[in-house]
Amino acid sequence: MNRRRFLRNASMAAVGAFASPYILPSGRLFAASGARKVNHVVFLLYAGGVRNTESIHMNDGNLMPNLLSGNAAISTDIAGAMDILPASPLSQPLQNFGTLFKEFRYSQGPTGHYNGHTVAVTGQYVDVDLNLREHPRKPTIFEYYRKHNSPQQTALNSWWVANTLGPYPALNYSSDPDYGPAYGANFIAPTSLISPDGFDVLGNPRNFTSAEQGAIYNIRDFVNHSFNKTFVDGSAGVTNAATEAGRLQKFITDSYANAQAGLYANPWGAGPSMNNDMFNVFYAEQIIKEFKPELLVVNMQDVDIGHFNFTSYANNLRKADYAAAHLWSLIQSTPGMANDTVLIIAPEHGRNANPNTTVDAYGRRALDHTAPSDAITGDQKAREIFCMVVGPPSVVKQGYVINSIAGESTDIVPVIANILGFDTAIPGTSGIKSYQSCDLQQAFI
Amino acid sequence: MKQIKIIFLIGLFLQSSCKKENDYIYQLQDVNVKQTGSEKNNSKSTTEFISIAYSDLFSVSISQSDLLKFNTVYTAFGDKKLIEDRIIRNLLNTPGVLIPTGIGSDTTSFINNSYKKFYNREPNAFESYYLKQQIRLNTIINPTVIYYCLMTSDEYRYY
Repeated sequence: MNRRRFLRNASMAAVGAFASPYILPSGRLFAASGARKVNHVVFLLYAGGVRNTESIHMNDGNLMPNLLSGNAAISTDIAGAMDILPASPLSQPLQNFGTLFKEFRYSQGPTGHYNGHTVAVTGQYVDVDLNLREHPRKPTIFEYYRKHNSPQQTALNSWWVANTLGPYPALNYSSDPDYGPAYGANFIAPTSLISPDGFDVLGNPRNFTSAEQGAIYNIRDFVNHSFNKTFVDGSAGVTNAATEAGRLQKFITDSYANAQAGLYANPWGAGPSMNNDMFNVFYAEQIIKEFKPELLVVNMQDVDIGHFNFTSYANNLRKADYAAAHLWSLIQSTPGMANDTVLIIAPEHGRNANPNTTVDAYGRRALDHTAPSDAITGDQKAREIFCMVVGPPSVVKQGYVINSIAGESTDIVPVIANILGFDTAIPGTSGIKSYQSCDLQQAFI
Repeated sequence: MKQIKIIFLIGLFLQSSCKKENDYIYQLQDVNVKQTGSEKNNSKSTTEFISIAYSDLFSVSISQSDLLKFNTVYTAFGDKKLIEDRIIRNLLNTPGVLIPTGIGSDTTSFINNSYKKFYNREPNAFESYYLKQQIRLNTIINPTVIYYCLMTSDEYRYY
């Protein structure tokens, strides 16, 4: 080796030694900046199929007075069917605390609830009908967060709170081999878990003394080491470490105790008007109070009664509107999350322009959501939705309204990643949009 | 003389053809056909886990309505290890559960029966020795503790 070659090799080795620590598992050369806009994101899926005609365009009056500005009275033919709700918990409509995209779009794929939810949490359209028994094939926002956020966080910091079971438990992680349950969110369907049936199954556990727990730890450790598989390798879902699991057990125990004490019977003073959506948001609020998660996704779907009863659909739009406002009010009164949280609200898809043949007691015809998948022909109204981004004035433009067509469902995942400062750590091969190409970024200062 | 020879030969023939057959008795050594732990490759489904746990503790099959109830609650939480732990602890605390009041003087028999009940196999010598030692040294260990340990172990999730 001559002197020149020696010097060249030595200098290349030196460069490599400095550079290699920054080549991350994600394939990026340098670590993410970690510059966050805020430290918490709550994504409220105002789901079940909400048509812009009734929400943003207020064809039957302002059915969402907690979120939207406007005093238009509810159509007289259905006004009498609206349940009484408590006064708004907010000093002014929520849109004044952020930016409203009036013409957001669910641009591609079948306009089904599970498809819409999957697109919302994966940031990628699915052009086929999904297998309802499978986890999404593309990684979810929860997995991006838990894998790429620095420092990595436990599942206690990311939650998926669903108002029903069916396929929705599968949305807390994907089947992507590079992500999966190790990076998934804690999932809860609280109205199924904190229920009389739930209490029967979980409400009266044998509690062991600390001495017994010591013996249990030793014996179980022994028997597990005598077996060549772990349940975690299989279908155990998201697994919390012992300390976190203890907190979750206590949360469940406390929830049953509160429910038995009657504290959850009428928590918002809404009486019989309290529907499943409102309860689901209420339980999401309990999670916020207890765990202050950095990422929480919660949904509502009671408006889907619109398939059979238009007037009940309108009524449930109002209840979801109240729940959304209550959620923001709770966030703003929770130390650690107040003024440090961005709330994103969007339906998963809309509903058809043309009604079906079902007529309710008020003479209104019901609405399905069946936009043809070519996204061009036929009734495409179900692709028209809204999106609202609410947050601290230093982060989110206040009282800003975008009336033109701007933004789409696949903007939400990259925007959440950007808000929490890990968007640039996500591999470019992931298939999600870059933050820079998202119209939703117009909401931010 | 010739007749005598013929009679002798016939007698000889009859004697050999009527020879009594030997009785051969084929015996097989007893073989344990139960699985060893390492041969359990299939994870129990939710329904299997719940119904097996229930029948292991109550010696009756779970009713269809109860199974539906358990399934719903099981599905409503994402951390399955956590929720199974809670289900088992709840079953152990349910009136009518069949748990021995004490381990008794025959520790070996208790351990063998527990392994057969929950793991569908007998403990190997080392497992038996370890558990006997634990029970002998730690008076806090009772049947509920042993049942809980076995039912929340990894092996109980497989068949």
